[in-house]
Amino acid sequence: MADVIEVKVPDVGGDDVEVIEILVSAGDTIEVEDSLITVETDKASMDIPAPVAGTVNEIKVKVGDKLNQGDLLALVSVAAAEAAPEAPAAEEQPKEEPKAAAAPEAKPEPAAPVAAKAASATEVITIAVPDLGEDGEVDVIDVLVSVGDEVNVEDGLITVETDKATMDVPSTHAGTVKSMTVKMGDKVSKGTVLLELEVAGAVAEEAPAEEAKAEPAAKVEQAPAVIASEHREPPVPDHPLDKKEPGKQMAHASPAVRRLAREYGVNLDLVKGTGAKERVLKEDVQSYVKYELSRPKASSASVTGGAGGLQVIAQPKVDFSKFGEVEEVELTRIQRISGPNLHRNWVTIPHVTQFDEADITEMEAFRKAENDQLAKRKADVKFTPLVFIMKAVAKALQEFPVFNSSLHEGGEHLVMKKYVHIGIAVDTPNGLVVPVIRDVDKKGIVELSYELTEMSAKARDGKLKVTDMQGGCFSISSLGGIGGTAFTPIVNAPEVAILGVSRSEMKPVWNGKEFTPRLMLPLSLSYDHRVIDGALAARFSVYLTQVLSDIRKLIL
Amino acid sequence: MSNEVKTQVVVLGGGPGGYSAAFRAADLGLDVVIVERYSTLGGVCLNVGCIPSKALLHVAKSIEDAKTMGSAGVEFGTPKIDLDKIRAHKEKVIGQLTGGLAQMSKMRKVTVVNGYGEFVSANELKVTGDKETTVKFEHAIIAAGSKPVELPFIPHDDERIWDSTDALELPFIPKKMLVLGGGIIGLEMGCVYKALGSNLDVVEFMDQLIPAADKDLIRVFNKSMKSKFDNIMLETKVTKVEAKKDGIHVTFEGKKAPAEPVVYDAVLVAVGRTPNGDKIGADKAGVKVTDRGFIEVDKQMRTSVKNIFAIGDIVGQPMLAHKAVHEGHVAAEVISGKKHFFDPKVIPSIAYTDPEVAWTGVTEKEAKEQGLNFEAVTFPWAASGRAIASGATDGFTKLIFDKDTDRIIGGAIVGAHAGELLGEISLAIEMGSDAEDIALTVHAHPTLYETIGQAAQVYEGSITDIPNKKAAKKK
Repeated sequence: MADVIEVKVPDVGGDDVEVIEILVSAGDTIEVEDSLITVETDKASMDIPAPVAGTVNEIKVKVGDKLNQGDLLALVSVAAAEAAPEAPAAEEQPKEEPKAAAAPEAKPEPAAPVAAKAASATEVITIAVPDLGEDGEVDVIDVLVSVGDEVNVEDGLITVETDKATMDVPSTHAGTVKSMTVKMGDKVSKGTVLLELEVAGAVAEEAPAEEAKAEPAAKVEQAPAVIASEHREPPVPDHPLDKKEPGKQMAHASPAVRRLAREYGVNLDLVKGTGAKERVLKEDVQSYVKYELSRPKASSASVTGGAGGLQVIAQPKVDFSKFGEVEEVELTRIQRISGPNLHRNWVTIPHVTQFDEADITEMEAFRKAENDQLAKRKADVKFTPLVFIMKAVAKALQEFPVFNSSLHEGGEHLVMKKYVHIGIAVDTPNGLVVPVIRDVDKKGIVELSYELTEMSAKARDGKLKVTDMQGGCFSISSLGGIGGTAFTPIVNAPEVAILGVSRSEMKPVWNGKEFTPRLMLPLSLSYDHRVIDGALAARFSVYLTQVLSDIRKLIL
Repeated sequence: MSNEVKTQVVVLGGGPGGYSAAFRAADLGLDVVIVERYSTLGGVCLNVGCIPSKALLHVAKSIEDAKTMGSAGVEFGTPKIDLDKIRAHKEKVIGQLTGGLAQMSKMRKVTVVNGYGEFVSANELKVTGDKETTVKFEHAIIAAGSKPVELPFIPHDDERIWDSTDALELPFIPKKMLVLGGGIIGLEMGCVYKALGSNLDVVEFMDQLIPAADKDLIRVFNKSMKSKFDNIMLETKVTKVEAKKDGIHVTFEGKKAPAEPVVYDAVLVAVGRTPNGDKIGADKAGVKVTDRGFIEVDKQMRTSVKNIFAIGDIVGQPMLAHKAVHEGHVAAEVISGKKHFFDPKVIPSIAYTDPEVAWTGVTEKEAKEQGLNFEAVTFPWAASGRAIASGATDGFTKLIFDKDTDRIIGGAIVGAHAGELLGEISLAIEMGSDAEDIALTVHAHPTLYETIGQAAQVYEGSITDIPNKKAAKKK
């Protein structure tokens, strides 16, 4: 028995996106997250993943179609249990049975009949915050479930907000929410208990036989995952302070180091030891203290809105409704977070913007030719101009290493980076985010195209991890898909420069004898004038246009 | 006429904890006064405890050693005991040390006020001695120690009934003597009197001698104790003690109790020590004292009153001089403004009996109680060349490791010089060594301390001196 599901176009962050490739055909078996089609937006191409597993019945779009959110994409038949929990789940059950039977093995006494009962018993487990890639606490900005809700594995439970992003904390188990221990506005960190979940599958011998019949089939289907792992504890490691190891009021540190830690009030369990066998050394305690001291500085700067000594008068309060009808709309979460950062960067960094134009006639000819080839070969990738710009920037950063630096806290020296990670500003439905593509200098156009597609998709889906947005050396903000001739991007501190890309335009260019039509790409390079001189910026800019004008220079 | 002394720090009690605290405080630039009830510094430890007992144990050990040399071909004959001379020897040892302390306090400009000190308020102490002195202080460190427990049914006034202090005075050598209490103090004194010629019985309420130590250590220990004590009465208690003209009549009850009362020439009561918390007017200063006479302190040795600290026996078990010394240092350092804490992983315990029993860190008993994932390994001294050569094969070295991290968390030794050998184990625990660290440390051969390295090799499975249980199985 199977149900047919309509797969529709999800929110892809743009209207009228063009289908550039169809990746599946009727009859294909697909898993959740398998890519169905590739679409191209003004910034990137991205794949649209399958929301369910099943068999493709029919594809409803073709290459070249312009799609919008909600358009019918495909019909997929799915196994009954997936689609309809009330169905008997006949097909699914046999597959899972061996796992279910594995549970009683731990307790050898009950004989075989109990194995069948095991799956239907319930057990209450606690779900805790996993590693968010963030030290310290994060704010709970939304609670997505409430007591009595049924949740599935990977369902979002709460939304948390870190310095850089918001993200959902997914459920590790399927079950019914028994109790909630967090609420909106709470601060949580790794290991904080969120809620109690009643899941199917508990200690076998406690389950009365009648329950087996009474339980809905859906639960039976979800049970094996729990039974197999016999999870009774939070799915994340306990907080180091809670661990009860032998005699471990003691960290791995000598008495002198313990004394030093006491003096500074450092919890040695939180200090990573660099000595032999991870012994905590005096130096480790010192650097931990230094690190901790430097952290609040950074955050307090953003809290005060970067006003750092700026004596400005307050904005006048204006009653706009006097002049006409108004409506109040809340800023998006990302806007609320990025606002203070942008403000700080704008007022604390002396910005200068250098404008230039690159002749990309040849580059575009080459790119289009390559894309045609790719399309013929049915390759699942397509080159965008942005990837070429990234490569050219990487090359320019190597040529002008001061652009790949950060001003040290004291303002007395520069930190020169020996790696080339480039942030790409991505416009998402929720606001601006800047995922970072690593080691751009070491990657080819093809590899970068894949990575960019993937990152853009993650950005639009709000699935970027904090680590995805860290470590950038230089940022690129491309508005080329939209239009405009030039703009002044704001430097993304602690980086020292950012490249704005506007829409390329065919212009008459004097070649010495006559005007020729050339495709000109406007570039706007904003930089931190404390670090970079005007002349250097002009040279960087010229170099960049030269590379883009003749991409053979990329291989020099 | 009363005189008045003003000081930054007053230390109440001049025992090891007290004088260590005082000297440390003085070295940190503070004005310090020690109030001491007796005429010499050093407290119980130096005057009537650790030191005199060790002086006498040394004598006893020499007597025992001389006896055992017969089998090695050297006969010394029957020793002649001159009790007065032994006592004088002991006094000389004490004198040397207390004299040194007096000199050191002078050098450090620490004032010693002799007399019995009691708090009048949180800033004032009254000292009653030859004359009355009022000590006004900013900070106080209470180091007033403990005293032997007296039992209500025992006529302690009789001069044949001793506590450890009396026994150390060597009043006479009793023909038949009872040691009441099978703990460290009682057994040490028992060893002394046995060597001097007494016949001994011992009675202990628990099911083993030195109840805190692991059973396997005591099994070896008992071999020697059985030759020293005529009757070891475990799980037995004393119900009646009567001082009569012909001796002390003692009635027993319990597993090994003799049916009739037994007559002894002397009874040493060594059933523990009780803190002096209720004898110093602590309430007048606002310092909280528990029902049992202990003063509660935090990890910086601070009492319930901010400017008053307490250290040593008076703050709790274990009542050991080395614990008091370290606590004294911490208290002095905290008063001087340092942010120090009393934070040791281990406090070693040693019975200076013959053979010695010593342990540090967790015992196997504790490891089991706490449900730790541990493995205990032993190296028997019967396999140690040095132990055989020295006639000390009755002994073994035990190490306890955390099986998750392989780190050492405890250790124990029974045998000659066990107390001296223990040092390495304490250091290894404090430094967080694991079995490999200890096994790879080259220990000199032949020594007794190499048994520590060998025990670690047993855990590692790299031992070659005895059969290796962890060796790869050959098919």
